[in-house]
Amino acid sequence: MTAPAKATTVPGHAVEVHPVGGRPRWRRRLAYTILIGYAILMFIPFAWSVITSFKTLPDSVNLNIIPQPFTTAGWEYALTKLDPPLPVLFVNSAIIAVAVTITNLVLGSIAGYAFARIRFPGREILFLVVLATLMIPDQLRLVPVYVMFSTIGLTRGLGQYVGVVTVLAISATTIFLMRQFFLSIPRDLEDAARIDGAGFFTTFWRVMLPLAGPALAAVAILQFQGTWNGFFWPVVLLQDPDHYTLPLGLFSFVTSGGFSTNWPPLMAVVVMSTIPILILYIFLQRYFVEGIAASGVKG
Amino acid sequence: MAITTSGGPPSITSAGSARAPSDQATPKRAPGARRAEAIAGYLFVAVPMALFLILNIGALLYAVYISVWRWNLRTGPVTFLGIQNYLDVLDDPTFQRAVQNSVYFTLVWVPLTMAIGLFLAVVVNQKIRGQTFFRASFYFPAIASSAAITTLWIFIVSPYGLFNGIRAALPLDILGSVFGFPPNQNWIHDQDTALNSVIILNAWTTSGTFMLFYLASLQSIPREVYEAAAVDGAGAWQTFRRITFPLLRPGHYFVATVAVIGALQLFDQAIFGGGVNGDPNNALMTMVLYLYNQAFKQFDFSMAAAVGVMLFALIFSATLVQRRLFGRDPEW
Repeated sequence: MTAPAKATTVPGHAVEVHPVGGRPRWRRRLAYTILIGYAILMFIPFAWSVITSFKTLPDSVNLNIIPQPFTTAGWEYALTKLDPPLPVLFVNSAIIAVAVTITNLVLGSIAGYAFARIRFPGREILFLVVLATLMIPDQLRLVPVYVMFSTIGLTRGLGQYVGVVTVLAISATTIFLMRQFFLSIPRDLEDAARIDGAGFFTTFWRVMLPLAGPALAAVAILQFQGTWNGFFWPVVLLQDPDHYTLPLGLFSFVTSGGFSTNWPPLMAVVVMSTIPILILYIFLQRYFVEGIAASGVKG
Repeated sequence: MAITTSGGPPSITSAGSARAPSDQATPKRAPGARRAEAIAGYLFVAVPMALFLILNIGALLYAVYISVWRWNLRTGPVTFLGIQNYLDVLDDPTFQRAVQNSVYFTLVWVPLTMAIGLFLAVVVNQKIRGQTFFRASFYFPAIASSAAITTLWIFIVSPYGLFNGIRAALPLDILGSVFGFPPNQNWIHDQDTALNSVIILNAWTTSGTFMLFYLASLQSIPREVYEAAAVDGAGAWQTFRRITFPLLRPGHYFVATVAVIGALQLFDQAIFGGGVNGDPNNALMTMVLYLYNQAFKQFDFSMAAAVGVMLFALIFSATLVQRRLFGRDPEW
């Protein structure tokens, strides 16, 4: 519960707190052995899925690292023969993840600003309500939300997208992170704008939002990744295979009799569904780590 | 997800009020201006608040309401049953199995993953080269979807998968020689090993996240404490046992709370590994899977709602118990 959402928690600046004791070389060697060994252990399964996706089915149960023969048949199968087709799953995931990210950015920054800076009666109580929603598990909401949504047609046709996006449209974590960020900005800036006669929205839009880049980036990554990977609400609200997201598609492949052990195409889907997040992670790793650490510690 | 757990009501209170009052700095304004400000405030929070009130608070009340009726997908409310649904759920052997599995998973997975996370955090926190790389690698498994990673895991622990392949290639196979598992053991589809396979899977994917939490917490320990310990000639292990571990108390509290809540909500990995029934023989049936099964396989919405209410109560009390065990609010 301190200051800016970032700054204090950047693990990048880990302080070397432990005094290096009696036999530094020995200890250091042990530390590196553990670190490198564990790092390899983290990567092996993913490397294995990439390798397997280029193998033939009979070869997929062998331990050879180089596919024999090397084939793209698994990928072709995954891209053309699956039902629902992989490109459809991909597009559905993208639509939903992008929409949820945008709603969180818009609603979260506006509400976070209001909770940080605008004075209105009942503000503290409303903010407590926001935080209290974190105590309500999604599973408790499954039946009531499904009943509400099916009553108003959000479990049919295009309504299914709307349903998933609505239930994920704004998370308390987003509001909390944005509020923390705006609290950390000095008041002088907006006071100047207010004295110049700018309204609340103009002040927010012109003065505060341009400063919020890092916080918005952290929120965007957290939400995009969470929604892209999400399984619970899609499996509840998306009934129709044409509207499935990648995780749901994987679920139907894994649990469908014939396809469930056709490893090469299955691994192609696994790789394909992870690539977008992997790219984000490689380029924006800092924000992932900061977002997790910040949302954690600030609890 | 993290603040999901920011703990029971008490820490919510502290989060809510702690920062509020920096407002007093601004001078008093005319009543008209104050009203305009209030209206702006309500407008800014209107949409999120409406969504929270309907889809969270409203859903909570609605779930309680649904749970006291006989209510299924097609018919809606039929007869008022009072607490009968709760009694029926508690009486159902499948639910008892689900509770057993969820409790077992929690008791094994939580300490295991916390220990790995803490260990990694302490090692990564040393003065080492490539710190950023190691941190990023250890967190790496957490970025993929549970769907992708569970599918991958099912492949790896399948009878002719990588895991059994490595066992066969090693000179000594303890799992075979001591525990008597056949060379082509089907780990996730055998009722004796299914749940443990999921425990290993989740320990692998989540230990990096816990490492990040612990790292943040480690950095809040003042450096002077370590300097004092070094002056007193404390060794590495002693320093860890007498200083680091106890001073990480707020970190333990936070990670344990997140972990227990996550463990009680185990669902994705279970339904991928064992389908809607948690096969084989309910070995992967968890409380949440049971809830899902009641709602979308049996179409008994009232039973599902009753399970949801009980799960909520359980998670809520687990949080309170942990607060008791680990002491007060985290100091952050």
